[in-house]
Amino acid sequence: MTTSGPTGVTPPAIEVRSITKRFGPVLACDRIDLSARRGEIHGVLGQNGAGKTTLMNILLGLVAPDAGEILVDGTAVAIHDPIEAARLGLAMVHQHFSLIGPLTVWENVTLGEQGRVDAGRTIRRVHETAERYGLAIDARARVDDLTTGQRQRVEIVKCLMRDPRVFILDEPTSVLTAAESLELFGVLRTVVREENRAVILISHKLDEILHATDRVTIMRNGEVVGRVETARTDADELAREMIGRVVSLESVGAAIGHLDLDAPPAVPPAARPVSVSPTITRDRERAMLSLRDVTAVAADGRTLLDRFSLDVRRGEIVGLAGTEGNGQKPLGDLLSSLLPIVSGTVEVGGVPVRCGRAGAMAAAGIGVVPEDRRAASILELSVAENLVVGDIDGICSRGFVNRRRLRALAQARVEQFAITTESIDAPMSSLSGGNQQRVVLARELSRNPGVLVAAQPTRGLDVGAIDYMTERIRAAAASGIAVLLISTELEELVALAHRIAVIHRGHIVGETAREDLDLQRLGLMMGGLAS
Amino acid sequence: MSSVETILSSAVRLSVPLTFAACGEYVAERAGTLNISVEAMMLSGAYAGALGSSVMHNAGAGLVWGVVVGVAVGMMHGNLSHRFSANPFVVGITLNVLALGLTSYLLATVTMQPRQVGILTIPVLSHIPIVGRPLFSQRWPAFGLYALVPFVWWVVQRKRWGLELRAVGENPRAADVTGIDVNRRRRQALLWCGALAGLGGAFLAVGEVGTFNSNMTAGRGYIVIAAVIFGGWTLRGTIAGCFLFGGADALRLALPALGYTLNSQALVAAPYLLPLIVMCFFAQRSRQPAALAQPFERGAV
Amino acid sequence: MKARVGSATLTLAQFAAAIAAALGASAILVALTHGPASRVVSSMYDGSVNGWGSLGYTLDYAAPLLIVALGTIVTVRAGQFNIGQEGQLMMGGLAGALVAIRLPGPGPLVLVAALAAAAAGGALWAGVGALLRYWRGVDIVISSLLLIFVAAQVLAYAVNNPWFIQERAVGSVRLAESDQISSHVRLPRLGHYPHANVGSGVLLALALALTVGLLLTHSRWGFRLRVLGLNPVAARRAGIDAALVGGAAIVLSGAFAGLAGGVVLTSSAYRLTPTFSNNIGWTGLLVALVARNDSGAAIATAVLFGALEAGGSFLSTAGIPTDLVPIVQALVVLGVVLAPALLRRVRPAAVPA
Repeated sequence: MTTSGPTGVTPPAIEVRSITKRFGPVLACDRIDLSARRGEIHGVLGQNGAGKTTLMNILLGLVAPDAGEILVDGTAVAIHDPIEAARLGLAMVHQHFSLIGPLTVWENVTLGEQGRVDAGRTIRRVHETAERYGLAIDARARVDDLTTGQRQRVEIVKCLMRDPRVFILDEPTSVLTAAESLELFGVLRTVVREENRAVILISHKLDEILHATDRVTIMRNGEVVGRVETARTDADELAREMIGRVVSLESVGAAIGHLDLDAPPAVPPAARPVSVSPTITRDRERAMLSLRDVTAVAADGRTLLDRFSLDVRRGEIVGLAGTEGNGQKPLGDLLSSLLPIVSGTVEVGGVPVRCGRAGAMAAAGIGVVPEDRRAASILELSVAENLVVGDIDGICSRGFVNRRRLRALAQARVEQFAITTESIDAPMSSLSGGNQQRVVLARELSRNPGVLVAAQPTRGLDVGAIDYMTERIRAAAASGIAVLLISTELEELVALAHRIAVIHRGHIVGETAREDLDLQRLGLMMGGLAS
Repeated sequence: MSSVETILSSAVRLSVPLTFAACGEYVAERAGTLNISVEAMMLSGAYAGALGSSVMHNAGAGLVWGVVVGVAVGMMHGNLSHRFSANPFVVGITLNVLALGLTSYLLATVTMQPRQVGILTIPVLSHIPIVGRPLFSQRWPAFGLYALVPFVWWVVQRKRWGLELRAVGENPRAADVTGIDVNRRRRQALLWCGALAGLGGAFLAVGEVGTFNSNMTAGRGYIVIAAVIFGGWTLRGTIAGCFLFGGADALRLALPALGYTLNSQALVAAPYLLPLIVMCFFAQRSRQPAALAQPFERGAV
Repeated sequence: MKARVGSATLTLAQFAAAIAAALGASAILVALTHGPASRVVSSMYDGSVNGWGSLGYTLDYAAPLLIVALGTIVTVRAGQFNIGQEGQLMMGGLAGALVAIRLPGPGPLVLVAALAAAAAGGALWAGVGALLRYWRGVDIVISSLLLIFVAAQVLAYAVNNPWFIQERAVGSVRLAESDQISSHVRLPRLGHYPHANVGSGVLLALALALTVGLLLTHSRWGFRLRVLGLNPVAARRAGIDAALVGGAAIVLSGAFAGLAGGVVLTSSAYRLTPTFSNNIGWTGLLVALVARNDSGAAIATAVLFGALEAGGSFLSTAGIPTDLVPIVQALVVLGVVLAPALLRRVRPAAVPA
C-alpha cells in the first residue's frame, strides 16, 4: 500500500495537508500542514488555543475536519472515529479523561482493543511492555488507587501495547515531577531509536520542546508559523515564533516557560503604571490569610490536605508550586467554601472562618479566580448577572432585584475592567475565554477582598489576556491585597511571586523567597525529594 | 406441602418476573441509564404476551411477543434519550404514561383467550425438602433464570461488551476517547433491558395470571428499579432484592390465610421503603455507576 | 429584539406542530381501532369547549394540574427533579381530609385550614426526599419516585382503618374510603351550570401562577434559585446554600402538589379513596415538561391538558375508552420533547474547542 514519494524517499509516518476546522466564528485550524517521520520526536509547539489539540483530535477521529487530507505512510485515509485511528496505528496519551477509575489497569488496557477479553494474557502483556520501557506498573491495581504519575505510565503502556506507528503525547509533563519527566523522555528516545516509531510531542513549554524533540512545528492562532530543526534553534527564536512578536514582556515569558533565571528578579519595567518592589514594607508581619494545620479528607477517605500551613501577608504574592494533583484543587475548593476540613484553622485578618459553609470564605473577604472557568461563571446567565452574582443582596431591595442598580453596577465594572462584550445583557457563553476570566476577576475584586486566590489564572488564555491578568494580579498586591497564586507553571510563579511554597501530597514541603531561588531544589521539592 | 413450602413457592413465583426485568435494568443502569421506562416495558410486554398467546394459540409464543414489544419500547427510549438527547427521565415518565394508556385502551378492543404456560417439575430435585418444590416446580419459563442470571454476570464481567458497558457507565468521556461509541452502547443496553423486561411482563401475563388486566404490572417496574438500588448495583444484590420483594408479596398473600395478621400495606410498601433505608445508611458502600443518569454528548464538558 | 421574536415564533410553531402530530397519531389509532376519529373529535369537543358548562369543566380539570406544574417548575429551576408529585398529592389530600373532617369550626375557616394542611402534608412528604438528598446524597429522582408508592400505601392504610379516616359504618358496610367532607368546607363554585361556572380552585391556581411567575423572574429568591440550578458550585461560592435553597424548593413543590390534592378534595372529590389522586400528580408533571418550565406556558398547557381530560370524560358516551386521554397527553409530550431535538439535528449548533 505504501507508495514512495517522487524523490524515492520513504513518506512520513503521518502527514496532514491543508487541514482546516472552524468552530462557529473561530478558525481553530487554518490550512495546517504537518508531517512526522519514523524515528523522530516531532514537537508541536504553541500556546493554549493555538489549535494543537483540535489538530490532534482530528487525527484521532474525535473531530471531523472541514477540509484537508491525512496521509498515513503516504496513503490518504479518512478517520471517522477513534477505532479507525487506532487501526491506522495512531495512539495518543491524553492530558485528561482517558482512564476509567473504577476499572483495573488491565481492564483499561484491554478496553479499546478488539476480540476476546483475556485477563491473564493482558496482565502478562502489560507487565512485559512496562518492563521493556522500565516503567513499574501493577496491572491488577484499580486506577483510582494510582497517583497521577502512575496513571500516565498506564496510559503510555496502554498506547505502546497497540504497537502504534505514531505515538502522540499531549502536554505530558504537566502532571509529572522533573524526575518523572526525564524518565518519560528516556522512554520516548527508546520508542523512536529502537522501535522506529514517530512521536509527536505537543507542548507549550519551550524547555521541554528543546530538550526532547528533533524537529518542531510551531503553531499560532490556528496556523503553522514555523518549522525548524530543534538543534538549529534556541528558546528566543521559538518563543518569538510562538507568540508572534518580540518577547519583551516577562509575564508572557513566564506563562510559556521561557525565563532567564540569571535576570534580576521580578522588577517590572519603569513604564508600568503599577510596580511592586520585591521586598514588602507594609504590614510585614501581619498575615492576612493564615492556614494552620489544615487537614481535609475526600468522601472516599483519601487525604486531600495534610496538616497544610501557609501564611500570606498584605501586599504579598505567595506562589504555590507543585505538580498537578497534589492538593491544589482541594485548596482552591477550601478557599471557595466548597470543602469542609477535618482539623486545623483558616483565618482571614485574624478572624477564624467556618470552612465548608456556603459563602463563608467570600464573606470573610477571600476572592477566588478558580482554575475551572466553567465552574466560576454561569454561562447561561448574562454578563451583567455574572458580574453581581457575588453580591446579590447589594442589587436587591425589599426582596426584589433592582434591575436599574444591577445594570449600572455591571456597566461600571465592564468599563473598569475593559471587558469586551456586545452588551451587558449578552449571555456569558458568548464571551471569549479571556473576557470570561475578566468578568470573574472583576466580580471578585469589586467586593474589595482582603485576599485574592488565583488558581492557574493564565491557563488557556491568549497573550494579551495573560498580560492583562498578570498585571491585575500585581496591581492587586500593590493595593495591599494578600495574593495566593496557585500554578503548575514554575516560571509563572518565579516571575510574579515574592515567595514560593511547594505543595506535595497536600502538605507544604518547603518554601523559598524569590531572592534565594534555587530551581533545582524547587524541582526536587515538587517531587517530594527534598525540603 | 407445608405452609413454609407454599409461601416459598409463591415467593419464587412472584419474584420471577421481577428477576427477568431486573437482569435487564441492571445492565441498563451499569451502562448509565436510570431506566424508569422499565415499567412501560413490562406492562407492554405483558399485554403483548397475553395477545400473542391468544392470537398464536400458544402461550410460549406470547413470551416471544413480549420480548419483541419490550425491545420496541427500549428502542424508543434509547433513540430519544441517547440519540436525540432528550432527558431520560422525561422520556421514561412519558413512555410509562403512554404504555399504561395504550394497553388499557387496546384491552377494550380485542377479546383475548386466557392461556397459561405449563408447570415443569424436575423429577428428583423437586423432592428436596422445603426448597425442592419452590425451586424446581414452576412454570417452565422460570427455569430460564437458572441460565440467564449467570449469563448476564458473564456478559457484564467477562465479555468485551460488558467491559465497555461498565466503562460507559463509569466514565463516558474516557470511554469515548478510547473508541467506544458511548450512546450506542447505552442504546444497546436499553434494547437488552427492553427484551428482558418485556419477557418479565409477558411471564406475568402468561405465566402467573394467564391473561392481561389493565395496569397489571401495578408498579412492578419500579420495584425492579428499587431492587437494583437495593442491591447496590451488583447483580447478586439485585437478584437478592427481587427475591426479598417477591417474598414480601408472597407473605402478604399467604398470611391472612394462615391466620396471621400483618399489616398488608407495610408489606406492599416494603420494596419501596427498603432501598431508601439502605441508601440512607450505606450511601458510601453501595457504589452507583459514576455516570448514572448523566447524558453524554461529545464535545460538551 | 428581532431575534427574540423570531425564536418565540419558532417555539410556538414547534408547539403547534408537536400538538398537531400528537393529535394526528391519536386519530390514526382511533381510526384503526374504533372507527372514524370524527366521533372522538366531536365528543371531546362537546366535553371540553362546547358551551360554558364544558369550558368550566375544562378549567376545573386544569386547576390542580397547573398547581402541580408550578411546584415542579420551582424545583427544576433549582436544578432538582422532583417526580414524586403523585405521592405528595396523596399526602396532601390525606392531611387536608383529616382537617376538613375532624376540625370543628366555621366552614370557611376549616376550609382554609384544610388547604393549609394539604400543602403541609405534601411539603412534609417532599421534605423526606429533600432530607435524603441533602443529608445522605440520595438522588431526588429515586427517592421521590419510590415515595409515591409508600404514600399510596399510607393512604390505603388510612382509608382502611376506622381510627384513622375510614368512613363511619353505614349499616354493617364500611368501604375503603373516608366520609364526605361537609358541604361547608368545600371550595365555592362561581356561577351555575349550564351557564358560565367555574370552581374557585381555578382562581387560586391562576393567582399562584402569576405569583410564581413574578417571583421567579424578578425576586432575589428567583435569582438565587436560578444561580443554584445553573451552577451549584458558583452558587455555593456566592453563599447560596444548596441544602437550604434547593431543599426549600423541593419542599415548596411538595406543598404545591399537596395543595393540588387539597383543591381536588374540596372542589370535586369530596372524599378520600385509594385512587383519589387519579394520576393528577403525574399529569401535572407532564404539564410542566411541556411548558418547558415557564409558568406562563404552564397556564396554557394546563388548560390544554384540562380540556383533554374534560373531553375524555365524554368519550365513553361514544363507546371509546377514556384511556385515549393519557395516550394523547403522552404523545404531546413526546412531540414537544422531540421537536427541538430534531431541530438540533437539522441545524447543529457550533461547538467551540
